[in-house]
Amino acid sequence: MVSSSGASSCRDRTLEFRSLSETLKKIGGATAASNGPQSDQAATSYRSEFNKRASCIGLSIHETSLKIARLANLAKRSSIFDDPLKEIQELSALINSDISTLNLAVSDLQTLKNLETADGIHSEDRVVHSTAVFDDLNRKLMGTAKEFHDVLNTRTENIKAHEQRKQIFSTNMSRQNPLRQHVKTVTEPPPWSSSSNSSESLQPSESSGSGVQSSQLRRRLAPDNSPSHHMEVSMLQQVVPRQESYSQSRAFALQNVESTISELGGIFTHLATMVAQQGELAIRIDDNMEESLANVEGARSALLRHLNQISSNRSLLIKIFAILIFFLIVFIFFLA
Amino acid sequence: MALNLRQKQTECIIRLLNLNQPLNPAGTANEEVYKILIYDRFCQNILSPLIHVKDLRKHGVTLYFLIDKDRKPVADVPAVYFVQPTQSNLHRIAADAARSLYDSFHLNFSSSIPRPLLEDLASSTLNSDSIHRISKVHDQYLEFVTLEDGLFSLANKSCYYQLNDPSAGDREIEEIIEKIVSGLFCVLATLAVVPIIRCPRGGPAEMVASLLDQRLRDHLLAKNNLFSEGGSFSTSFQRPALCLFDRNFELSVAIQHDFRYRPLVHDVLGLRLNRLSVQGEKGGMKSYELDRLDPFWVANGLLEFPEVAVEIETQLNKYKKDVDEVNRRTGGSGGAEFEGTDLIGNTKHLMNAVNSLPELTERKQVIDKHTNIATVLLGEIKERSLDSYAKKENDMMIRGGIDRGELLGVLKGKGTKMDKLRFAIMYLISTESLPQSEVDMVETALRESEVDIGAFQYVKKIKALNVSLASANSASRSNIVDWAEKLYGQSISAVTAGVKNLLSSDHQLALSRTVEALMEGKPNPEIESYLVFDPRAPKSSSGSSSSHLKGPFKEAIVFMVGGGNYVEYGSMQELAHRQQPVKHIIYGTTEILTGGEFVEQLALLGQKMGLGGTVAAPAP
Repeated sequence: MVSSSGASSCRDRTLEFRSLSETLKKIGGATAASNGPQSDQAATSYRSEFNKRASCIGLSIHETSLKIARLANLAKRSSIFDDPLKEIQELSALINSDISTLNLAVSDLQTLKNLETADGIHSEDRVVHSTAVFDDLNRKLMGTAKEFHDVLNTRTENIKAHEQRKQIFSTNMSRQNPLRQHVKTVTEPPPWSSSSNSSESLQPSESSGSGVQSSQLRRRLAPDNSPSHHMEVSMLQQVVPRQESYSQSRAFALQNVESTISELGGIFTHLATMVAQQGELAIRIDDNMEESLANVEGARSALLRHLNQISSNRSLLIKIFAILIFFLIVFIFFLA
Repeated sequence: MALNLRQKQTECIIRLLNLNQPLNPAGTANEEVYKILIYDRFCQNILSPLIHVKDLRKHGVTLYFLIDKDRKPVADVPAVYFVQPTQSNLHRIAADAARSLYDSFHLNFSSSIPRPLLEDLASSTLNSDSIHRISKVHDQYLEFVTLEDGLFSLANKSCYYQLNDPSAGDREIEEIIEKIVSGLFCVLATLAVVPIIRCPRGGPAEMVASLLDQRLRDHLLAKNNLFSEGGSFSTSFQRPALCLFDRNFELSVAIQHDFRYRPLVHDVLGLRLNRLSVQGEKGGMKSYELDRLDPFWVANGLLEFPEVAVEIETQLNKYKKDVDEVNRRTGGSGGAEFEGTDLIGNTKHLMNAVNSLPELTERKQVIDKHTNIATVLLGEIKERSLDSYAKKENDMMIRGGIDRGELLGVLKGKGTKMDKLRFAIMYLISTESLPQSEVDMVETALRESEVDIGAFQYVKKIKALNVSLASANSASRSNIVDWAEKLYGQSISAVTAGVKNLLSSDHQLALSRTVEALMEGKPNPEIESYLVFDPRAPKSSSGSSSSHLKGPFKEAIVFMVGGGNYVEYGSMQELAHRQQPVKHIIYGTTEILTGGEFVEQLALLGQKMGLGGTVAAPAP
């Protein structure tokens, strides 16, 4: 008679309902108005522009979050020697462009919604529905952007950890070869800058500044190398490593400052989202009952007041009426 | 398999919200659908403790309405209806379809919709030519309200009154039993278990048990039934026991004043559907939600009230300490230091502090909420001296009697009329031999305090008819002390009272004892006379109760016909946790009543029987 899905506790009565309707149609003998649904079809296909766009955006948000999950996987897997740099860069660039297009699409949706509301052909329930859909999409997009931000943060931390380990291995070598150190500091900035988004845009400028500083130092030192006095050379050679280590520590300190500033920026955005989220209280479905009850009580009291006014007016009317009758009687009395 | 009724019901409702399509957690290939939810009052009571608006939005519900409300058209959006299958609801649905309010209608009925109503719906929608809009019709079998993981209620009003009404005819009683059985059937369908039914002889419990057994048998014979998955449950160890009881089995629990936190909040402040409204500290009503997401409520619900106050105190101190810690870490070390490592360390501290802020605010909110509730409770307790009521009633139940002077003192003392009436009825129930003079004295005292004594006289009548009331105190005495008292009489009654208190400090309810015995499955004289029903067994062998049916059960569903409360629920939970290994007990009832509400039903019954006081009866 009825079919029920395997592990569910509900019964599907739709088939029963359909068969009932068929039998009733045959009994009634009325031709099902087939042109009825079609006119509705046309109307609904027009009106669902908003819905179509909303569902498209929802689908692409979902796909983007899948891509971000893949990126997170890649970032976790990378180690010092096996860094899939190119893939990560490509993927993050792709996600970046996705998010910006989604942003544009959502703002388009908002203008469409405002247009439709201003038209006035829709009921207020429809307006609330559209607003709710729009808010939901916004929230999802924000969530996706935050996920992307988190993944990038973990990625930069990983790179920092790698770099520190590289430095530990390479400081033994840099004693003998200060020039190599320079090359390293100059090539480090590019991976950082390619995988950073706007909030970390400070980094490239800062690191390039430090690179410039160290290269300037090198240029200053170079002319000093020309006097070929043995002692001066040896002294200079001694001075150069010390100056190199000084610049190196300065560069290191600067990098620390950059990272701290970016972390502080992250903390502030985090706080801002938390403050925004405080607005979403835990509402229950039957919350409006209290509101409507209060409204009904208020309406009742207002009506009572109105009734009192009317009744007092009525007493006034009666008084006036009595006076008029009195005058009538006096008038008749005089005439009679 | 732990029976978690709340979780199962929530899953069913979420599936309902997803238009009864199978959930696909690994990413939905189909597009996100935004829908509108419409329910009626009964289903609103079902939904509101389970799902909040946040969860609704997560599942794509943008708007939610009562079916009676005047709604405006929202075209090209599907609507999900979750209503009871009544005539008026169906008319409303047909009217909505005729007006083409929504694009497609997904109808979900909280219990099985009978065939004639379905035909009605089909014909009315056919007439208005909107039958193509109705895309799906489902029977959901969700007609019960789940308040916590193991507590449910059928929300049948005034069940005890209707069942015990002397003027009720057979047909009316059958109707009520029918309603109870359909509610229980929904519970079992949601849990997808076929239990073994045990109930005492006679009374509404037996009627419910036999009808439920019949219903389950008929249902299991159909080819595609709701319980067919899960293979064969042959051993009783896998199947739970469904223990049915009638309210008259233990009347005292429904009337007694209890001093633990949860029963107090329910009784005194009126906790309904996990929601509570109290006077705030700065004036104005505040509304709180008390459910499993509130850690303080879950942990301390069964403590006595003074311990709860102490617990609030400790939590507050811990919170203050944590806040000071956070302040110290971030505020003190905010100096301008430019060493690289220190700066990083500072920001890490700052990060941790910021991350711990939401948790701290939440803890503060919980503490504030319970402080407010406790303050209001304390005011009520002081005004009505509820602590003395609770203590004296407990003593009465244990000792089996009360001193005359004390009794009169209480009746003339503090407390509302309902409190005094409840105390008097407890006296009736707990005292074994009632000298008529004492009873008259009690009645006069009650009349002086202008208390309506209809309920009192009703209970007196029941006791006279020798219906078995509270057998709770029968096992709470030890034989030695009994013998000693008989021997030495009154002189050592005080001593024995103290000893009895020591021996029976854990005043167990008769219900807990019986359920424990039923679950253990060992032969026990108390439960010998209990009936056994097994819907899965073929009809012929139902007469002889095979031993495996009485075997030990790991899980049980305890159902009280006529009304229950948080005291019983609490004792069921204690019983479950006390067992080695831990067992699971779900407690359900026809409705959850405070002591006052139950006594009002008793008063109505007293009125019906022609007994009654001089004061007008309280409104039902």
